[in-house]
Amino acid sequence: MENDEIESEELDEFESDETNREIVVPGEVLTEDVENYNPGRGTLLNKDKNKIIALNIGLKQIKKNYINVIPLRGFYTARPGDKVIALVVDKNPVKYKCDINAKDIAILKPKNTVRRGKIRGSRSMEAEEFDIGDILVAKIISADRLNMPELTLVGKYLGKKENGIVISIDPPKIPRVIGRNGSMIKLLKNLTKCNIFVTQNGRIWIKGESIEYERLLIDAIEKIEREAHTVGLTDRMSQYIENEKQKRGMK
Amino acid sequence: MMNIKRVISTIEKDYISENLKKGKRIDGRDIWEYRKIDISHDIIKSAEGSAEVKLGETDIITGIKYDVGEPFPDLPDEGVCTIMAELLPLASPLFERGPPDEQSIELARVVDRGIRHADCIQTKKLCIKENEAVYIIFVDMFVMNYAGNLIDAGGISALTALISSRIPEGVMKDGNLEWTGNYLNGKDLVKELPLIMTFGKIGDIIFLDPNLAEELVCEGRISISVTKDKIVSIQKSGVATFSIEEIQGLIKRSMELGREIRDKLDLWQYKVDK
Amino acid sequence: MPLIINDVYPEKLFREDGKRLDGREKNELRPIKMEVGVISNADGSAYLEWGNNKIYAAVYGPREVHPHHLAKPDKGILRVFYRMATFSVFERKRPAPGRREKEISMIITDCLEPVLFLELYPGTAFEVFIEVMDADGGTRCASTTVAALALADAGVPMRSLVSSLAVGKIDGQLVTDLSGIEDKAGEADLPCAITWFNEELSLLQFDGDMSIDELNESLLNARKALDEIHQLQLIALKRKYTSILEEVEGGES
Repeated sequence: MENDEIESEELDEFESDETNREIVVPGEVLTEDVENYNPGRGTLLNKDKNKIIALNIGLKQIKKNYINVIPLRGFYTARPGDKVIALVVDKNPVKYKCDINAKDIAILKPKNTVRRGKIRGSRSMEAEEFDIGDILVAKIISADRLNMPELTLVGKYLGKKENGIVISIDPPKIPRVIGRNGSMIKLLKNLTKCNIFVTQNGRIWIKGESIEYERLLIDAIEKIEREAHTVGLTDRMSQYIENEKQKRGMK
Repeated sequence: MMNIKRVISTIEKDYISENLKKGKRIDGRDIWEYRKIDISHDIIKSAEGSAEVKLGETDIITGIKYDVGEPFPDLPDEGVCTIMAELLPLASPLFERGPPDEQSIELARVVDRGIRHADCIQTKKLCIKENEAVYIIFVDMFVMNYAGNLIDAGGISALTALISSRIPEGVMKDGNLEWTGNYLNGKDLVKELPLIMTFGKIGDIIFLDPNLAEELVCEGRISISVTKDKIVSIQKSGVATFSIEEIQGLIKRSMELGREIRDKLDLWQYKVDK
Repeated sequence: MPLIINDVYPEKLFREDGKRLDGREKNELRPIKMEVGVISNADGSAYLEWGNNKIYAAVYGPREVHPHHLAKPDKGILRVFYRMATFSVFERKRPAPGRREKEISMIITDCLEPVLFLELYPGTAFEVFIEVMDADGGTRCASTTVAALALADAGVPMRSLVSSLAVGKIDGQLVTDLSGIEDKAGEADLPCAITWFNEELSLLQFDGDMSIDELNESLLNARKALDEIHQLQLIALKRKYTSILEEVEGGES
């Protein structure tokens, strides 16, 4: 499975030239030049309207005339269109309840699990059945303040995972694991020979040739998570994986 | 692995047991290998003794406090040692606030049986005046981060905290409790060094020191406490069953592993003088 | 039965050389160390050593509210649980939370809430667990300070940090940052906390004997000292990342 459909707006942030390496913290004054700059993501104009303040711990970014803070830490908030890895935690005849690492449990209705019958020539639609403990790659179809987020399994690359393992990282760091134009994820796949599926809720499904490759990949992802705010990470990851392969006696 | 939830995914269960069958674990350890153990002692000024033990990411801080009170009527010349455990809600999303639950009671009791028996704690030395005044030693374990195998980490931290203790020495003079100016130290409190070793079982595979994912998935556990030459206690939990051969094998392995670990840890280095 | 050695209440709180018993000047803070990200399971966490105080704070959230009836439909709730370990004090404390702990929990909750955007998280809760493992005066202030760090470490959007400390009066002199002994044996104690986005006090208590002039002066002293605390918090938050930047740019990979 490939991870082609990537939300492009997220991609560039960590590596873009407009993001400097300045770490800012909540309450920090990003600028007093409110004439020329507007408060963007992760920022607020103060009460006296003479300062733009950071709201999160993150990297300062100036894009056109907006000042943004790219968060380094944070929790996942369900958004329509996001691909997520969901864990079925409960079920009843009318719906599945899934944990998606967000503040709310997400719902999956049987009508959103239908697949065309596999029998040749058949046009029947079968709803696939799931059990508690199943891992599903799903897409969020709706999420708002009042209702629980709703999922669908109808779509490319969506569905139940039969094997492999899922790890979790800080959701804000997911774009770094994907990289600009998918450069990081391609590198990881090629060098560790693992299948990788990265989703917006901070979860990553992996399946490799052997546990040794999977371990290497997990260590690499932890390193990306730790160094997400630095420059030259893609090259360093390449070096790191090659070095580790040598150290661990792997090819 | 994936963020801790009460429900463990089926693929994770399968992944762990498939690999265990091949003798492999996701953190690269052997079946009979402990995670990294880090010990610091005498870290709490307000306590008479203290230790922090990190076993992998599991983190337990134990403190020792004392009181003076009347002995139990059937043990008039012996002090009392009581072990308590708190699974702090900050240690895991799985822990709730409130009075001790089954898990914390199990931890306290298994560590209690694992280190108090076999005369590990010198309760006779904890007597100030027979029938009137004895020391009551409180061993309080606080779990700061839960990543599997609280029992082994708890055992080491309780033992190290006791070894690091300095308890004011009291004497009865004309019916009044007075300080001699000296202290009881670790050597007065602790005689033996029992170590508790916990094994998990998934399917037919038995392995040492379950990490969090392994612990949440395993069907049974067995904790065996050993001194240099004796088995002090055994506790089995969970629904899995163990054959007699398996138990005999584990007893032998615990004695061997116990000696190895005891030497490596060298817990007497944590005794505090003056 | 009483303990063998009893708690010490010294007669004088200043030495011959004019310094406080622990060697500090009147407006000097005790040594403070802060670190974030110390509890891997938590969404955010921090650890603080302030004099002999040793305090952990961990944040979980936003998450479901238990019991459900406490949840608010239009905004999230902040719950702070301040607890002291049994061995954190001179005489062993009973494990169950007492009235003092419940009072302090409430005060810290009120103190931190103004910087959060709870209206963005309806129906859920942010829970902050504070564990005092070793106590030596000013624990509610140290706890507030470390709790604010833990919230920032969790990535919870905040208008600013919150910093806290206690000023007071000992042996007739106004001092900053009371130690345990100074708190017990001194004449007055004024814990306070400031929310930096509006530079106003969100925690304020006063106990003891001070004139109005002394109170006013104490508040100004506190304001200055709180700045120092704030700087330490900012450094601790950033250090987690700047240390990695240095490591990486230093040529190691």
